[in-house]
Amino acid sequence: MPALFLGVLLVAPLASVLRHAFDQPSGLDLGTTGGIAALAALQAAISTALALLIGLPIAGILATYRFRGRGLLQALATVPFVLPTVVIALAFRGLLGARIEPGLLLVILAHVYINLAVIVRIVGANWQQLDPRTALAARSLGASPLTAFRTITLPELKASITSAAAVVFVFCFSSLGVVLILGDSGTRTLESQILRQTSLLLDFPAAAVTALLQIAVVSAALLLGARASMTRTRFGAAARATPAPRPRSVRARVHVAVVATIALVILLLPLLSLASASLRSEHGWTLEWWRSVASIDAGTTRLGSPVEAIATSVRYALITGVIASVVGVLAAMSVLAHRLGRAIAVIALAPLGVSAATLGLGMMLTFGRPPLDLRATALLVPLAHSLVAVPLVIAVVLPSLRSGDARLVRAAASLGAAPTRAFLTAYGPILRVVMIAAGGLAACVSLGEFGAASFLARTDAPTVPVQIVRLLQRPGEASVGVASALAMLLVVGTLVLVSAVDALGRRR
Amino acid sequence: MHRALSAIAVTLVTGTALLLAGCSSSPPQTAGQGPTTVRLLTHDSFVVSKALIEQLKHDTGITLEVSSAGDAGSMVAGAVLAAGSPSADVLFGVDNTLVSTAVDAGVFAPFTASDASALLPALQQDTSGGLVTPIDYGDVCINLDDSWFAEHRLARPTSLDQLTTPAYRNLLVVEDPATSSPGLAFLLATIARYGDGWQRYWQALERNGVQVSGSWTDAYESAFSAGSGTRPMVVSYATSPPAEIVYAGDPKPTRPSTSVLTDGCYRQVEYAGVLKGTADEAAAGTVVDWLLSAPVQADVPLSMFVFPARSGTPLPDVFTKFAAVVPNPSQLPATEVAANLRTWLADWGTVMGR
Repeated sequence: MPALFLGVLLVAPLASVLRHAFDQPSGLDLGTTGGIAALAALQAAISTALALLIGLPIAGILATYRFRGRGLLQALATVPFVLPTVVIALAFRGLLGARIEPGLLLVILAHVYINLAVIVRIVGANWQQLDPRTALAARSLGASPLTAFRTITLPELKASITSAAAVVFVFCFSSLGVVLILGDSGTRTLESQILRQTSLLLDFPAAAVTALLQIAVVSAALLLGARASMTRTRFGAAARATPAPRPRSVRARVHVAVVATIALVILLLPLLSLASASLRSEHGWTLEWWRSVASIDAGTTRLGSPVEAIATSVRYALITGVIASVVGVLAAMSVLAHRLGRAIAVIALAPLGVSAATLGLGMMLTFGRPPLDLRATALLVPLAHSLVAVPLVIAVVLPSLRSGDARLVRAAASLGAAPTRAFLTAYGPILRVVMIAAGGLAACVSLGEFGAASFLARTDAPTVPVQIVRLLQRPGEASVGVASALAMLLVVGTLVLVSAVDALGRRR
Repeated sequence: MHRALSAIAVTLVTGTALLLAGCSSSPPQTAGQGPTTVRLLTHDSFVVSKALIEQLKHDTGITLEVSSAGDAGSMVAGAVLAAGSPSADVLFGVDNTLVSTAVDAGVFAPFTASDASALLPALQQDTSGGLVTPIDYGDVCINLDDSWFAEHRLARPTSLDQLTTPAYRNLLVVEDPATSSPGLAFLLATIARYGDGWQRYWQALERNGVQVSGSWTDAYESAFSAGSGTRPMVVSYATSPPAEIVYAGDPKPTRPSTSVLTDGCYRQVEYAGVLKGTADEAAAGTVVDWLLSAPVQADVPLSMFVFPARSGTPLPDVFTKFAAVVPNPSQLPATEVAANLRTWLADWGTVMGR
């Protein structure tokens, strides 16, 4: 079932791009392309390492402790992932001013900021499943907290960390928007190269070769990630029986306070610069941009009503959340159950290596006309978003499912349970928590996605990111002001959505 | 290893099957009867008043469905890939840098607008041999932040040549021509101006500290000093100053704080055309006629901040007062652009180290 979903939605659009590609002349320079790939890999490696460095401690306190503001911090960590790239770029440029010109440093900073959510979510979902008693036992036998972490917790988390790192690496390696807006000559990616080749030069053969190279690198990275997450851990932890404790010792309190503060500063600064842009004009502080959110460009086809756009975005996000979590979990289950599991994992994760814009173009060509005209239905955008989100869902679900105990399935089966029933008995409790977390992440992908939506959304029903980008494409104070206000609405919407989903996940 | 190989084999077979399925299922054409829906393929900068779409429906029974396909470059890429069996009926927004590519790919069916004689004299023959109809035009020019120049007691530049002199060091931001339409237009302006010497001009700009942005949004909103940046010169449009007024906060300024360097401008013309293979060529043609009709043309300036292609169209005050009048904008023949674009972009990349 998941294979069919991915097959039809991914392979057909790509095939229709490729099918048209090879009957035209090409000006591909393989040397240049290889150089770009190497530089992009270096950039992605640095971004991933930094994102892990900052993201792991945050995931740690969120997973092991209960403290005031925990839910908010967890939701806040997801926000950067949702914001459209142009908005991130605007926020960073507003924050850093002209002190940092576009280049490698800005690109890496933005990548780290955006991908914190991936680390916190993927590793966090797994971390919460760990049985804290193992580490506590080590502590009581005299191990220092660091030793206990290094020898007990870290090996248990290895699978999800590798999985998250692979996903972040792939995102940074195939990044487009960030690189175009915040990058310079040293920060090209294959994806930005594909855009150059298709968009202006219409050099489809070169773009196809570049795309194949990109898919090869991406698949290799994902294969490594999937391989690590296939290995069984030593302790095979079950779902935790007790809720996370409050930090009691002084050391624990300081630990939580320091990490939470640093996290808040990193996460909030760009958002504050955005908030101030939505409240300032050259005459000083103003509410004008917020007041004109509902009325700007009324009567033209440019924007449509922002209220409707918010409704559209939320609807798409919910549909995406449901589709992606169902398909993703089914795919993850077949990865575990099937002897070709690893190959399935890579195929299912492959959409990460295909940009939303390429996918959007392909889907427009395939599904935008008879015999399969999905454009009139409201499904095309959520379907594209699901495709982008499924790999993330798998990355969240797989490490946690794997830590579920397969022996329970056999035990339930030997007691006469039907296979489905046996599976649900063994994995049900974990599945619920994990599916909700994954669905929330998928919904967030949909909320912030711009590339595919700009291709596929009908002009009279734009999503919020599409509206923001359209506003930012013209001069005038009001354009930036109202775009910032809309971006703040997106931030608040994300916080609400993510908090609600997390609350659902916590209720047992 | 065998498992991995067999998985790859399965994937390939499935992919091929789907590909074949895709090939064999050419879209069945349905003739337009009764109330017609016409699909307009355009870029994401297309804007028109909703009242005009309703008027079109009232007058002709045509329901217009606007679908945007990314920026102009992506839109043309999509149209070229789908040439002959389009996903829409009419295309609007291909400009004079890409029109030749689209025409060569067989995107358009011949169509002459019924009001073609009302086009400005300079645009009368600009139809790629009866395939496309000019709808609007505008000039890409360097914009200047007047208050910055006043504050720093520096004379505003009046020619492209001055931009390479030490007085204007580190003051200009341009867009990457490979990813931005105004960026490309500015590159073409320098090629039109300096001919074979254009690379030397860009070397001089590079030495003089020109900054390259990936997009108009970043250049204008973040790097330009009239936005939140520090550089007082940016490649934008001759109509950006009036847009600054229209989209200013209240109270509206009486005059814009930016002006236009009218030397080294490049003229962009945007065309509409009937897509070859549409189910209903007549209805598609009606929509092209509608785009050139007096009411839509009068709507064009304040909707998209470009000039109408129809002669005698009244302009709004803010245009007549503040839009720069460019005496001699450059323009290269579309066929020359199509033939050389790839080389030019590659050479530009080499010169600028990108």
